[in-house]
Amino acid sequence: MIDTPRITLAQGNGGRLTKELIDTVFLRHFGQPEDHDGLDAAALPLSPDLETVVTTDGFSVEPLEFPGGDIGSLAVHGTVNDLAVCGATPLFLTLGVMIEEGLPLDQLNRIVESLAIAAHRAGVRIVAGDTKVLPIGHGGGLYLTTTGIGQRPPSVRMGMGQIESGDVILVSGPVGDHGISVMLAREAFELSGSVRSDSGSVAPLCLPIADFDGVRFLRDPTRGGLATVAHEIAQGCGLDLILSEADIPVRDAVRSVCEILGYDPYYLACEGRVVAAVAPQIAEQVLTFWQSLPEGAGAARIGIVGDAGKARDRQVGGKVCLITALGGQRVLDPLEDDPLPRIC
Amino acid sequence: MTAPASTERARALLAKIHALPLTREVRVMNVCGGHERSISMAGLRAVLPSQITLIPGPGCPVCVCPEEDIFAAIDLSQRPEITLVTFGDMLRVPANVPKGTPRSLEAARAAGGDVRPVASPAEAVRIARQEPDREVVFFAAGFETTTAPVAAMIAEGVPTNLTLLLSGRLTWPAVTMLLNSEAAGFDALIAPGHVATIMGPEEWDFVARDHALPCAIAGFEAESLLAGLLSVLEQGLEGEARVDNCYGGVVRPEGNPTARRLLGETLNVVDAPWRGIGTIQRSGFALAPAHAGLDALSRHSIDRSQLRKRAGEMPPGCDCARVVLGRIAPDQCRLYGAACTPRSPIGPCMVSDEGACRIWWSSGIRERRGDVVDA
Repeated sequence: MIDTPRITLAQGNGGRLTKELIDTVFLRHFGQPEDHDGLDAAALPLSPDLETVVTTDGFSVEPLEFPGGDIGSLAVHGTVNDLAVCGATPLFLTLGVMIEEGLPLDQLNRIVESLAIAAHRAGVRIVAGDTKVLPIGHGGGLYLTTTGIGQRPPSVRMGMGQIESGDVILVSGPVGDHGISVMLAREAFELSGSVRSDSGSVAPLCLPIADFDGVRFLRDPTRGGLATVAHEIAQGCGLDLILSEADIPVRDAVRSVCEILGYDPYYLACEGRVVAAVAPQIAEQVLTFWQSLPEGAGAARIGIVGDAGKARDRQVGGKVCLITALGGQRVLDPLEDDPLPRIC
Repeated sequence: MTAPASTERARALLAKIHALPLTREVRVMNVCGGHERSISMAGLRAVLPSQITLIPGPGCPVCVCPEEDIFAAIDLSQRPEITLVTFGDMLRVPANVPKGTPRSLEAARAAGGDVRPVASPAEAVRIARQEPDREVVFFAAGFETTTAPVAAMIAEGVPTNLTLLLSGRLTWPAVTMLLNSEAAGFDALIAPGHVATIMGPEEWDFVARDHALPCAIAGFEAESLLAGLLSVLEQGLEGEARVDNCYGGVVRPEGNPTARRLLGETLNVVDAPWRGIGTIQRSGFALAPAHAGLDALSRHSIDRSQLRKRAGEMPPGCDCARVVLGRIAPDQCRLYGAACTPRSPIGPCMVSDEGACRIWWSSGIRERRGDVVDA
């Protein structure tokens, strides 16, 4: 094997080598800022008529690259999506990079290029950044942190508190693709699959509907999957969620891997889906709109907010019931441990 | 995306089961955590006729792993030169230890031990190769399906710094023990699909032949489980007893000959202890003499006879042994949902994803049943 150039500690010392790394890897893909005047911080042209929304997220994934994405695209989509589900148009990102000594330079280049492409597609500019190199053994290859800044019209008023009994729960596409894609890329399960991560921006799904009357709440199900978001909603609004297993979209390939390894697809991470709680009068309209977009082609109505008779109790919170495909019923619990493959 | 065709077929099977002229209670045992999980997660108990009782039996390898093995693993993990790798489920299994010592591998890790979860034997080998200066001990608990890849690993040859704490068990001897006991507690058996895939369906012939009980081998989807259930119920009504293979696409006669050959070449079948249950004849895997050098206890000078003294000790009040044997349902244990929950488990059945208590809890059963059965 030809030894490819690798990241060294010296490239994180803040001197010439660091500048070279930034120029040849990061700025090469992001482009030189037009208005760069040597300052240590970026001034942002934000509109005074809009609300400014900010979010931050750290990213670590093993392996760094997987079918359908990599940590670079993930770091853009994860943060952009957190803005989008709040109804904010993603505008700017900052990027913190922690590289473990020894990471192949080629791989870093691929990931940064992918990050730049994802940012370009999502319409966000990377306005500030930082690079550090950690000694070998002190990091999982590469960690990224992105902070996202977006703006939204003041008319957007979503929140769990607005959810009412009888509201409809929608999901924008099949669940579990990202979780299975990463798992198959990570573990030598000797299962070959065609599952690609759903890593992508959900802004096109969220922004056009965010200020609709009757769109109560949007959330992207990432770690912990659909079940965890459903649980957060039930806890947050104090009402029960009743989901119908037969209506929850899960790809056949994801279902098969789950059958073999004993995973529950509802707990697997997604990186390009949205769960919505909407008023029943507009459920069909939102669903039709989602299904008309490539990002929402597999959208489905998966449940309702129930328990009309029960008083809303935010202290106790609601629970999530799943009506199984055979008509049975069970509770979907919050995730306790990381899902593990079964051993029998 | 519509409901998969298998759901439609499952609904049809359910209708057939409802049409059966069942007049008395039929108790059907499964012996696989995967089966119990599928049953619970599909909510099958609620949609079956009330005469049918589905009983989770000895189907959780983590739950039956003897306490002395967990002690040994904890002990090994506290030695500075050792990296202990094991399947994730084993990390949280509590042991009944003297105060001041780690009560699980998770606690052992917090106390400074190098304990790492792995998903496969290949990962254990990879760690040993990548870190040749560490003594890597692979604590391998599991039934036939998990032990077969361990056998393959041994046959391929392992790095010299890798040894094994093997806690492999065979499923069928536990069923034999139940059937030979005074009251087996079930009228029909759903045999485990994965085990039969490796060992062959013939291994289960004894259920019908020697004990005249209906038996069916089933897979893990609701459809396959319902097909197995329909088969044993029909057999019962017709007064028949045979082993029906309802996982035909996957389970072949003779099982997987390569896996069986590797198991036979590298491991011996021996009498082995089951946690809280005692020794079951010819129910465990042990390293064959040719591979005795891979034994972690010998390599690291741990005295087996000292460990043996721990045998049979269970945490006070823990009824996991009777849960494993299907003598009581999970929610009939005094500790269920009260002192024992997934967050602070007392017994192994509340720890493992294969454990009946954990599965019942995950499916939403939160309260102890009124009719607690005393030991």
